[in-house]
Amino acid sequence: MEMDELTPHIQELKRVLGDKIDDEQLMAELNKYLNEYHTGIESAKRGIIRKYGGGDVVSSFVTASSVVKKIKDLDGSEQNVDLIAKVVFVDSKEITVKGLSKRILSGILGDETGTASFTVWEPGETVLEKGTTYSFRNCYCRLWNDKVQINLGNRGKVESAGGITVNVPERTIDVSSVAECKIGSIKEGMGSVTVTGKILSTEVRNVVVKGEPRTVYSGIIADDTGKIQYSAWSDHQLKEGETICVKNAYIRAWKSIPQLNIGDRSEVTRVDAVFDAVGDSSTQRTIAEINRIGGGLDIRVQGMIVDVRAGSGLIKRCPQCNRSIMNGACSTHGTVEGINDMRMKIVVDDGTGAIGAVINRADTEKVTGVKMSAAEQLASLQGEGVVARDLTARVLMKRVVMTGNVMSDNFGPNMIVHSVDIVSEDVEAEAEKLLAEVEGSL
Amino acid sequence: MNAPVKQRETAWRVSAVELNASTIEIKAEEEKAPSYVVSRLGAKMNRVLIAGVLTEKENVGGADDPMWKSRVEDGLGGNFFVNVGHYQPEASAAMADLEAPCFVAAVGRVRAYTADDGRVFVSVRPEHIIKIDEAARKEWMLEVAKSTWRRLKNVKLAASSEDAKVQDLVAEGLTEAEAEGVLYALDSYDSMPDSSVYLKVIQAACRALLPDRNVDFGFAEGVDGPDEIEMESGPGSADKGNHAEMEDLVLRLIGELDEDGKGAPRDVLERRAEDEGIGSIELEEITNSLMDNGLIYEPNLRYLKLI
Repeated sequence: MEMDELTPHIQELKRVLGDKIDDEQLMAELNKYLNEYHTGIESAKRGIIRKYGGGDVVSSFVTASSVVKKIKDLDGSEQNVDLIAKVVFVDSKEITVKGLSKRILSGILGDETGTASFTVWEPGETVLEKGTTYSFRNCYCRLWNDKVQINLGNRGKVESAGGITVNVPERTIDVSSVAECKIGSIKEGMGSVTVTGKILSTEVRNVVVKGEPRTVYSGIIADDTGKIQYSAWSDHQLKEGETICVKNAYIRAWKSIPQLNIGDRSEVTRVDAVFDAVGDSSTQRTIAEINRIGGGLDIRVQGMIVDVRAGSGLIKRCPQCNRSIMNGACSTHGTVEGINDMRMKIVVDDGTGAIGAVINRADTEKVTGVKMSAAEQLASLQGEGVVARDLTARVLMKRVVMTGNVMSDNFGPNMIVHSVDIVSEDVEAEAEKLLAEVEGSL
Repeated sequence: MNAPVKQRETAWRVSAVELNASTIEIKAEEEKAPSYVVSRLGAKMNRVLIAGVLTEKENVGGADDPMWKSRVEDGLGGNFFVNVGHYQPEASAAMADLEAPCFVAAVGRVRAYTADDGRVFVSVRPEHIIKIDEAARKEWMLEVAKSTWRRLKNVKLAASSEDAKVQDLVAEGLTEAEAEGVLYALDSYDSMPDSSVYLKVIQAACRALLPDRNVDFGFAEGVDGPDEIEMESGPGSADKGNHAEMEDLVLRLIGELDEDGKGAPRDVLERRAEDEGIGSIELEEITNSLMDNGLIYEPNLRYLKLI
């Protein structure tokens, strides 16, 4: 075993054994285990600790079966792995797990061989400094979008690397991965992209990041295939209506809606290219396309209402959080006096795929022709089940065009509908078109 | 870490001719995984959206536990066989209110049943069935014509490029589901689909949608469906002289009436057989001979079950 590979183990042994062993003794022991008896490093460590440290120490020594790896060598299946790596980027995040809010640390780790994203799920008092090298122990890895993610769970430990420093090579950007791409084909997990598009809107927001006020420059950029939200930490003086080319922007997704991030490594240039941006109109998509991409802004689909899901019809909402409540109690705010509302959860199918959609009271009234007051009256006479059935019968097998934002979860894509209309097709014109095509090919 | 996305199965727009000519099934290997029936044009269907004229309906179950059997003529040369049982409570309630004839649309799962002689009978179990107007029926015809044409072109494309993979076809503009379906169909059926059958469907749709145009692709008006359709013939039309055909019919009924794996209840079978023109004595003879031949057995005296 090469000395530099051995270093982390020596560090670890020193940390565990403290002054119970001096350097000379330690090296002699290691040499005996590894070179005379050719044991594995783990057996050697365990043996030395048992000999010099005693039982208590050993039981706290949970790395017994961990392996030490370099980032490049991770394949995403590791259950227990130790790394010495430098924090390239780290951020503290609040996430919601099973309704409870918790804090995690996430970011990017790098060593001589590569970089990977990481998450510390139970950070406790752990503080990670950007640019500092640590020893990350008992990590587990997962593959996400073909990229390795390093996770530290409740067994994981972050420790000082004891003066070891790691040099992360300047990231070499793979030219093929930043090839020019159309906005309509951007999807989650793409990494870096280069896009050309027209700025449709801009917005400047002041936010507080880690206690420091910062300014975010964001807006919507579009080309002829779709539109996407962008955000930048620095002011590129982007103005509505101008066409820009962004090289090396990276894609992050929020609830499967991809977003274009213009970061420090991105390059923004103004171009004269003139093309028809999708503009203010929404982007027409088939549901198969939505399924492939996962989500997006201001998308228009046309299809048939093939199902109406439970939870449609008259509902009550919590007056504090506006979420729908069951049996008079909000899952967050307990027993509350609910506010009456009406909505529908529909399934729309266009023959290429199916998508869930939620439509609000105004749109429910529009497509069903039933006012909420009438629905309430019917409910008081015959019960809410009858209302749901009546509304369902009024919209089933109706053709609709709807526009909204689409996000995906484990049950596939779902649209929060901004507008919906029942439409009918110009059957004759469409049939003429088909006829011409078929006859032309016979 | 993330559960696989369970996308809802697409409701394929398909004609009765195409649906009923399907004989290939992809059976679910895992629990809760969907099964598919693959048409000759590569529609990989778990769910379909159908429409047409409800021409007949009958409750073959009891008053308490209805089991509706019905036919929906699609106007494109075929009939859908639509069965609604107690696993489709909503459709069952809707079915009770429908009065034949009327225009209906239904969305539901596709079921295939393979008889002992290898013939496959395809039916639709609606999750929803609802009365529609003629305009909506025409829109459905248009969608079917368009998607049938698209599948015909897909078949041609897939058959002309040797060793085409799903990605190659997706690059040509097919959806993943279309690409998988068409490749599966080409691999599984032993012959290429007869395009004239499907062009007739498109011709029928164009004729219905453009009555003033003289639409003629060179196919005769009379569209004869595949012989699977003949099997599900109306009441009283079973050929009493043909013992083998009656045996087939009874076998199929036993398969169909076996709702819960216990077998087909004899009393229900008797009623169904009578509707098909088979008297109770005749039925006795037939079931005895089927038992002798080892094709069915009696799990107990009230039931008959396929072996």
